[in-house]
Amino acid sequence: MNSKYQKKNQISGAEAILECLVAEQVKTLFGYPGGANMPLYDAMMDYEEKIEHVLVRHDQAAIHAAEGYAQVSGTVGVCMATSGPGATNLVTGLADAMMDSQPVVAITGQVAQGLIGTDAFQEVDIMGITAPVTKWSYQITEFDEIGEVMAKAFYLARSGRPGPVLVDMTKDVQFALGVLRRPKRVQMPSYQPNYEPHARVIAKAIRCLNEAKRPLILAGHGVSIAGAQKELRKLAEKAGVPVAVTLWGLSNMPVDSEYYVGLLGMHGNYGPNKLSNTADVVLAVGMRFDDRVTGKLEGYLAESQVIHIDIDPAEINKNVKATIPIVADAKLALKALAAGVAEKEYPEWLAEFAACQAEEFAAVITPGLAEKATLPSMMQVIHELSDLTKGEAYVVSDVGQHQMITMRYYAFANSNHWVTSGGLGTMGFGMPAAMGVQAAVGNDLVISVSGDGGFQMNIQELATIRQEGWPLKILILNNGYLGMVRQWQELFFDKRYASTRISSPDFVEIAAAYGIPGQSVNRLDEVREAMEDWLAESGPALLEIKVKAEENVFPMVPSGQRVEEIRLQ
Amino acid sequence: MNVIDTKAQQYYTVIAVAENKPGVMYRIAELFMKRKLNIASMTVSETEQAGMARFTIRLQATAMTVEKVVKQLYRIVEVTRVVEYTDEALVFCEVGLIKVHAASREQREEIKHLADMFGAKIVMVKPKFVVIEQAGSEEEVDDLLEMVRKFGLLSVVRSGRIATTKI
Repeated sequence: MNSKYQKKNQISGAEAILECLVAEQVKTLFGYPGGANMPLYDAMMDYEEKIEHVLVRHDQAAIHAAEGYAQVSGTVGVCMATSGPGATNLVTGLADAMMDSQPVVAITGQVAQGLIGTDAFQEVDIMGITAPVTKWSYQITEFDEIGEVMAKAFYLARSGRPGPVLVDMTKDVQFALGVLRRPKRVQMPSYQPNYEPHARVIAKAIRCLNEAKRPLILAGHGVSIAGAQKELRKLAEKAGVPVAVTLWGLSNMPVDSEYYVGLLGMHGNYGPNKLSNTADVVLAVGMRFDDRVTGKLEGYLAESQVIHIDIDPAEINKNVKATIPIVADAKLALKALAAGVAEKEYPEWLAEFAACQAEEFAAVITPGLAEKATLPSMMQVIHELSDLTKGEAYVVSDVGQHQMITMRYYAFANSNHWVTSGGLGTMGFGMPAAMGVQAAVGNDLVISVSGDGGFQMNIQELATIRQEGWPLKILILNNGYLGMVRQWQELFFDKRYASTRISSPDFVEIAAAYGIPGQSVNRLDEVREAMEDWLAESGPALLEIKVKAEENVFPMVPSGQRVEEIRLQ
Repeated sequence: MNVIDTKAQQYYTVIAVAENKPGVMYRIAELFMKRKLNIASMTVSETEQAGMARFTIRLQATAMTVEKVVKQLYRIVEVTRVVEYTDEALVFCEVGLIKVHAASREQREEIKHLADMFGAKIVMVKPKFVVIEQAGSEEEVDDLLEMVRKFGLLSVVRSGRIATTKI
């Protein structure tokens, strides 16, 4: 190859990265420029037709937005930050994506190679810092690495158990010239996720299910990731097995299905928690027996045979012993099971769940909704929201009591419309993640629900929302407290409200200062109308609802107790 | 019982083969660090396959913990194979360099005699000390150490275990 030809085909490292993003069909990325990624940003100006860059107001918002984007689009979310503080601001989001298995690629600038290890300006060992919270990471120091590393990064982010990947790029490589070579296929002998279930374990599981007297399906995030909602439903209906879901498994079963029995977990529904330990066969699919779901591990599912389907072999036998472990993709496994199980019905078993549901309604839900105080309760607000939107919106929550209440009372009509921070429970996640969701779904209705505490953590993103003009509908439930912590202080710390009373600014005035119309209501009878006005806005709009100061979320499985010890009040 | 029981702790040798890429050792070490596992030794070396490294980690843990650690090691993308062993399945040894105080002919003779009994070599003789090189099981190195301790140990350096399977 003569040098003239080589020179013509040469591009900079920065351009090469962008070519790789285009090749991976990235349409939107979220980021923040700085010294160490300026060449990348400069090159991006020539790619404006192909890739849209959203400038956020805090690097952390960029990665949460990438998470939200990834979750609803089914593609890899991409974010970009500079070196040093820019990169470290991504750490929380990386940990969040790691815990919730979100496919995200984070590209960070790094100081020039010659400066590494000298405590240079904005230098930080981001590879070392993020090793525990990334599925993979790589520092690109030579042009020729770019094609392969980027292909690997995207492949690893989205395949097997999805997760966050960090690509760190030294500044000199961003300037370096070369000819980009991308591999046609990514070959990694050391990484071979197993998607197909083995026929023998499937046969064993089918036999087990067919002989069950009180079978129960626990469905989690893996069902959404695999797009296995239809297969789950088919299996449940054919074999007559009730399905309970985790926080991330929510909306994988239609709420009106007679086989859907509700949510597992610390603030889940009464029936699934009360009856889990009485099941004789439990089919756990795409869920990892997180401690919020199991309560006290000792005795959890002790009398049951457990069939555990997960793509990550490390999750099987981690917390709960699996009688029949199945390492496979949820869709393929559920399809194989549905094909082979016998048609059965368990009317008495289902009736037990119905009875628990009736108890829960009587003790918690009906009185809660009927309460006539001046200030609305969060339960009443979310119930109204669900009703008004017919459960069809994309809902993104922050973390806390409002999150649990949104999980419980928003009746999702569509699957994959619920985004939250589950495993890490990151306050401040909500609005930035909602930005990412809106960016992915065009003009569809996206609602960001936050508490007054979490909302203040990334409040600056109101500017990003205004900048992009997204029609995002922002809801703040304001009780003047860090509600979830306050609830624990009330129940377990003698009502000693240490640092949980929290003040906030006038959110409507803040929104106005950011150029976003806002409204605030503090009466139960004003809620519906205010919501209608708010939802009718064509652009972004904020609605603050002042809610009851001391509302407790029930039912509750107190920390360290067995799931059947769930309290209704 | 469907809950993982804790059982008695014993010594395991975990052998992991991974691509010899920067950061892999860090990720492996971090996995043990965050679980506060008691690592007795870790050695890393090249293997007969180009570009691949073998990590030989000796640790004290329960069977359940080791099973989890092995699975979690597989999560590291560059790791290709991990197997856990107990001593019966392996041919293993470590090398110890023991610098012992020896200033007289009698001391040197007795030390040489002990070294001969253990099949160890004297690799350095200086006016005030000798250095013994012992290759063998951890127990053999321990035993030689105990026998020469009375002379005064100036420094003890142990390489950590390397191992290969019996089959």
